[in-house]
Amino acid sequence: MRKLILTLSAVFVLILHAAAQDRTITGKVLNDKGGPVEGASVTSNDGKYGTQTDKFGTYSLKIPASVKALSFSLVNFENESRTIGKNTVINVSMKLLDSKLQEVVVVGYGVQQKKAFTGSASKVDAKEFSQLVTPSIDKQLQGRAAGVDVTNAGGLVNTPAKIRIRGYNAFTVGGADPLIVVDGVPIITGNLAVATNSNALGDINPEDIETIDVLKDGSATAIYGSRGNQGIILITTKKGNKGRTNINLSSTFGFSSIVKQFPVLDATQFVTIANEKFTNAAQAGPARLDPAGTNTNWQDNVYVNSAFVQSTTLSFSGGTNKSTYYFSMNYADNQGVVRSNHNRDYRIRANIEQEANKYLKFGNNLTLSRQENKDQNNGSNALSGATVAALRDLPNVAIMNPATATGYNITGNALGIGANLRTIDDNYVNIAFVLDNNKFYADDYRILDVAYGEITPLKGLKIRSQFSVDYFGDNSFVGYDPRHGDGFSGNGLAQNSYQSILRTNIQNYFNYNKTYRKHSIFLTGGHELQQQTTRVYSATGQNISDLFFIKESLISLTPSTQSVTGNYTKSALESVFGRINYDFDNKYFIQASIRRDGQSSLATDRRYGNFPGVSIGWRPSREKFWKTKFFNDLKLKASYAVTGNNLGGFLYLSTYGSRPYGNVGGIAVSVVGNPALQWEQTKKYDVGFDLSFWKSRVNVSVDWFKNDLDHLILGVPTPMSAGIPGNVINENVGTAENRGIELSLNMDVVKKDNFNWNVNFNYTNITNKIKSLYTLNGLPQTEITNPLSSPYNIIRVGQPIFALYGYQYAGVNAANGNPCYYKADGSLVQRNVANGTYNYLLNLNDPNIGVGTTLTSADKVILGSVNPTWFGAFTNRFDYKQFGMEVMFRFSGGNKIMNVTRQEVLLNQKFANNGTEILDRWTKPGDITSTPRLYYANDAIINQNGEATSRFVEKGDFLRLQNVVLDYRFPQSALAHFHDYIKSIRVYVQAQNVFVWTQYKGGDPENYSNLGVDATVTPAIRTISAGFNVGF
Amino acid sequence: MKSLKHITAILLIAFTTLLMAGCKKSLELAPFNAFADQTAFSTPERCLLALNGVYDAAQSGDYDPLNGTAHSVRGYPFGAASIEQGDMRGEDMVNIATFYQITYQATYSPVSPNNVNMWINLYLLINKANLSIDGFKLAQSTGIITGPWEAQYEAECRFLRAMAHHELLIHFARPYLDGNGSQLGVPYHDYAIGSSAALVRVRSQPRDLVSVCYDKILADLDYAEANLGATVPSTLPGNIPPPTGANTFRATKAAAIALKMRVKLHKGDWAGVIAEGNKLIPAAFPAPFPVLTANYWTGIVSPIGGWKLEALPNGPFTNNQSTESVFSIKNDALDNTGVNAALAQMYGPNVPGRGLASIAPGIYNNPLWRCDDTRRSLLLIAGASNANTPSFFTKKYTDYVNQSDYAPMIRYAEVILMQAEAEARNAATISQRAIDLLNLVRNRAIPSPATNQYTAASFTDKNDLIAKILYERRIEFLAEGKRWGDIHRLALDPVFSPGGIPAKAVNGYSNAGGTYVCGNASPAYAQLPIAYGDFRFLWPIPQDERVSNPIVAQNPGY
Repeated sequence: MRKLILTLSAVFVLILHAAAQDRTITGKVLNDKGGPVEGASVTSNDGKYGTQTDKFGTYSLKIPASVKALSFSLVNFENESRTIGKNTVINVSMKLLDSKLQEVVVVGYGVQQKKAFTGSASKVDAKEFSQLVTPSIDKQLQGRAAGVDVTNAGGLVNTPAKIRIRGYNAFTVGGADPLIVVDGVPIITGNLAVATNSNALGDINPEDIETIDVLKDGSATAIYGSRGNQGIILITTKKGNKGRTNINLSSTFGFSSIVKQFPVLDATQFVTIANEKFTNAAQAGPARLDPAGTNTNWQDNVYVNSAFVQSTTLSFSGGTNKSTYYFSMNYADNQGVVRSNHNRDYRIRANIEQEANKYLKFGNNLTLSRQENKDQNNGSNALSGATVAALRDLPNVAIMNPATATGYNITGNALGIGANLRTIDDNYVNIAFVLDNNKFYADDYRILDVAYGEITPLKGLKIRSQFSVDYFGDNSFVGYDPRHGDGFSGNGLAQNSYQSILRTNIQNYFNYNKTYRKHSIFLTGGHELQQQTTRVYSATGQNISDLFFIKESLISLTPSTQSVTGNYTKSALESVFGRINYDFDNKYFIQASIRRDGQSSLATDRRYGNFPGVSIGWRPSREKFWKTKFFNDLKLKASYAVTGNNLGGFLYLSTYGSRPYGNVGGIAVSVVGNPALQWEQTKKYDVGFDLSFWKSRVNVSVDWFKNDLDHLILGVPTPMSAGIPGNVINENVGTAENRGIELSLNMDVVKKDNFNWNVNFNYTNITNKIKSLYTLNGLPQTEITNPLSSPYNIIRVGQPIFALYGYQYAGVNAANGNPCYYKADGSLVQRNVANGTYNYLLNLNDPNIGVGTTLTSADKVILGSVNPTWFGAFTNRFDYKQFGMEVMFRFSGGNKIMNVTRQEVLLNQKFANNGTEILDRWTKPGDITSTPRLYYANDAIINQNGEATSRFVEKGDFLRLQNVVLDYRFPQSALAHFHDYIKSIRVYVQAQNVFVWTQYKGGDPENYSNLGVDATVTPAIRTISAGFNVGF
Repeated sequence: MKSLKHITAILLIAFTTLLMAGCKKSLELAPFNAFADQTAFSTPERCLLALNGVYDAAQSGDYDPLNGTAHSVRGYPFGAASIEQGDMRGEDMVNIATFYQITYQATYSPVSPNNVNMWINLYLLINKANLSIDGFKLAQSTGIITGPWEAQYEAECRFLRAMAHHELLIHFARPYLDGNGSQLGVPYHDYAIGSSAALVRVRSQPRDLVSVCYDKILADLDYAEANLGATVPSTLPGNIPPPTGANTFRATKAAAIALKMRVKLHKGDWAGVIAEGNKLIPAAFPAPFPVLTANYWTGIVSPIGGWKLEALPNGPFTNNQSTESVFSIKNDALDNTGVNAALAQMYGPNVPGRGLASIAPGIYNNPLWRCDDTRRSLLLIAGASNANTPSFFTKKYTDYVNQSDYAPMIRYAEVILMQAEAEARNAATISQRAIDLLNLVRNRAIPSPATNQYTAASFTDKNDLIAKILYERRIEFLAEGKRWGDIHRLALDPVFSPGGIPAKAVNGYSNAGGTYVCGNASPAYAQLPIAYGDFRFLWPIPQDERVSNPIVAQNPGY
């Protein structure tokens, strides 16, 4: 390939000047260390003749006598030019650009030099993680940038990670997810497929990414207006370099396993505990050990121990004088740790850019992707939920039973009875049958294409038009076997769903750069229109004539009950924007921007909002008074901006949706809107500095920030008796703030020829506080209980959003085994495990049942914040000769997790298996324990199911050894044999999520939802892998 | 070079045009999947759709599991839930698994989903009825529908509104007999709430007294009776006949009268019940009555609507649209209460249902229920419970796969037994009319009615007759959710009070405390009774109601 291109360009050059060759200039291009520079362009000053240096840095160019000078250029090097005179040999030494000074920041509708940038942004070099085993980049952003909190709940391979940039900047309406922009295109993100988890970001091959810039403060995001409220992640994909052809093959393969199983009872322990539950409730114990000695570990059946994962990418990149290209193909296969969970990706990228002439450039970036996702019922209390059933299924019951029709051990529609006298409670299923026979499959297609043209009518002025299409097509299938599990009651189910999301985005804008003496300005202005339509329909058949017909698709006329659903929505966002940057002498900086956004979610008269931003910067290190050489660069900066929030839907409108009465068509009010709604407003403040010292070997950035959230749209609770659907009407009433400090440190501790040691550290401290809520009857309200219908949380003034809220657990009464709580006045109450009544007691060893009382919502207290208040990462990179090693630690904490898995599953009081914690239960007077007496069926009484209590609210603090990577780069000498076709080889082994230090008792301290709840989440994954990277 | 300038110029023009093309039209969107509220009543067809939407609110409201997970449909309030909750609050059925455990064991709190969702969905139904009434009035005032149509639709909405308020009263308020309606009832909402401004009125309305609620319920039902036809009318404007069997799943004049009977029974207004019942039951039973010919009970036909008993006790259940189904809530294969609420799934045995609620040994064994009663053979089925324990289950709901069993609300059998009770109570001595009415229902289920039926000699006194009528209700309406209504209204009855929530079989074991032996003495129940005076006799007002609307007082003890 490389040869072909070289040949083609040589032919091209030959044709160009076949007529008038006069003399031949030869020479060598070296770098400032004396090494050869390959691929540098050597061109005549009239631009008509040119060639490139070879791998020894030599060139040879025939030119006519009219050519007076040659210029030499290469990306990342300073341009050089030489007059020819009488010379026939011209050797040149090219200087590498100071990368720190020249570093650019992608800022939205343009690129800016980092030194002049006064906002707050973090750059993530994709090399840091592109070879880690991960189906999508979101999961690998963990710990890479200050202020960016990424949590990856659960070990499923196709769920998106949760990304929070500088905290949670929305209340109950509008997403808290950042905007993700790929090559200037705001793309569709989220968990999109109908039938399975499916991460839209998985359509971007991590290996295609050149850089990721995370815009955090108001001034940096203001140019994106309302969409920038939650922060912005700008992804730039790879481009070819002029004059160099690179072919790259990289492949990684490895194995994933769950980090740990939940500790559950074995058969003997189960029989003891189960019978004790019944005996304590004055019933006969039904659990019996199987004479065959059955001791089933259901988790062994559900979780795969070493799931194979692999990813292979082949890329071609390069360019000629006028064009660059980057093509890649990727195949990735990620077997999940739940054995029916699977993600397979086929991804193609093609980036091309062509200069038509001095004035016009055009190009196209294309991604084609297909994802196949397989999944299972993951419901946290679904009877066929993989994890919940693995924990509840009885250990003294065998998986298979040859005596049944299916061969699986099934009684009725529940797990088989085995030697027990009754079946498992609540119809929990034989999960082995369900995972073997039910299907959740999504075949998803993505086209992400941006075409653009850029004209440069004047020097410094660039006008760009770009049109992009982001199409997501989902073909989902669900098949339920009629014999057992979810398909039993409907006698089988087959469902095909089709969903398409189409987003078009048109941007027209200009950049103007002008430097006059010490004054520089950079102007940006333009217009953007984004439209999105979503279509979805699904066909469901139940009562299937034969289970043969549920294999891959719904088949016509096989179900006797058929139903269809469908929907169509459309939304639009339109904006104009402008930005001005000015700097004087690279010393004083100011930036101002404004954007006007309109969104279809608001009433006509309130549809538009204006979002200004301003920032200033000063580099005292450029002042004359700056004497110290040790501190070589210091920049101080401050910014302020106002952003809105993109809402979606038609929040202002009251609507009547379809509500049929049986098969008789009907409509009914579905939403009560609020025409007075206006834009939310977030005022973002940021003050910080960037400092370099010790010859730029140490770089420190510190930012203090505050986001003041105002006019927050809050689903204000309406009286349930008002009969408003959803019991809320949205109003602009809330105020809140996020404030914190971010610190990043990058240090070349050792920088020698053979040995480099780099340390990277980032730390964020962030607090969120609700400042005010709505008023009721003229009185300001200080709390909203059960936000988003979650009984574990509260929105309360003075507290972080969604704070955990519940009862204070006091422990177990050693005299009788009852769980005890503190009332608001500090008095102790015990809850009778037998009947749920509350009575006072004097102390935790009081045999008397005191006066009757209650435990009410007035006795609830705040139990903790659901979002981490501090987090960060610490990375060490060592390079010794050809060897490299990277070790990354990540830490996070300050949050609490409501462990519903323990409360409802592991400590259940039903005829079902338990976690080993239940072995600590109270059994006789005098026992000191925190696990109450057992009592069959009284889970809700003993564990306060559906409420948070301090017994189940645990610290979420952790330190994680996130990644360890060892690599070896073959020396050039070793590649001498392959001189012409192999340029580089790198091999590596790596381990991800190696170990976590935490007190959290659940599956993983990151297994929590937006509401800080861990409800039977799949355990976390550890992956060990190896791979290679060969450059041709 | 010249051509380059041309290209540049053209591109510049194109660019500017594109800028201008950012026309405001692109933001002028409206939903494609729902009507804006101003247009929901703009044609006669849409008015009918809105009326059906009110019935839908009665059938399948939005169930909020209150743990932050997805909402679903679970037959709240009347599609299944009122029956299931009504049975699980009583002692004639046993809860096996977790589904109704909180209701069964009376451990509900202001945040437990079953009672909270009943409150939410009853008021959602009430508000949808009120919003639609406003919509129909608007449509009438603008000439879209005529006055009689407005009255017909409004009457159906007010029927549902009355039924919803009454369901609220029996769960959240003390019975009428407690101080003659002087206890706190629930806020009676007879106005629409369609915007945040309208909430002011809700927030200034405390709980109405029980007596006020009963007055308003009866006023709504009087309006419904006056304006409903004996059958459901054809559809405007095309005069299209209503769907088959619409008389059974939309309100008719007879349904309004029957519901009034029930409400007056709760008030203890025996004369009132009789007056209403006389509209639906012929004063003199036609010949050959009382000569007992086969199926003679099918010859007693309501003068309004032509309702009559089916020949067999399972008739109303083998046919959702039976001659006896005065009012039911419609479910069908396409729109039902789902596998987590469907009556067949919940009440049927382990296979093919889920075996979550079985028949209690107490009623099965009771000697008042004859062993040869065909309601045992036709309407009970032996099977395994959810815990794989051998038990008996109801066979009233049998569409396990498609879950299309209607939820019976008012049967003609109830009309007759309500009238029997009122006649028995109203008479000074043993009422022959009451015996005749009781026999109409009972005789179709027992062999050789001529010899086995009740006669005046069967009863020691008037109270014995009333007691047997009350027990007949438990047998006839077993698994139809009516048990709680009776416990509630009888709690302060000087003679027939169950005392509060009766003792029950232990949760989870349907035959605990005794096995199923017909005619055996009642088993000793392990789940102790809860006295009428205990706070748990009532459901708590939901916590979220109290927070967002503190004027609604909590029931004491919660």
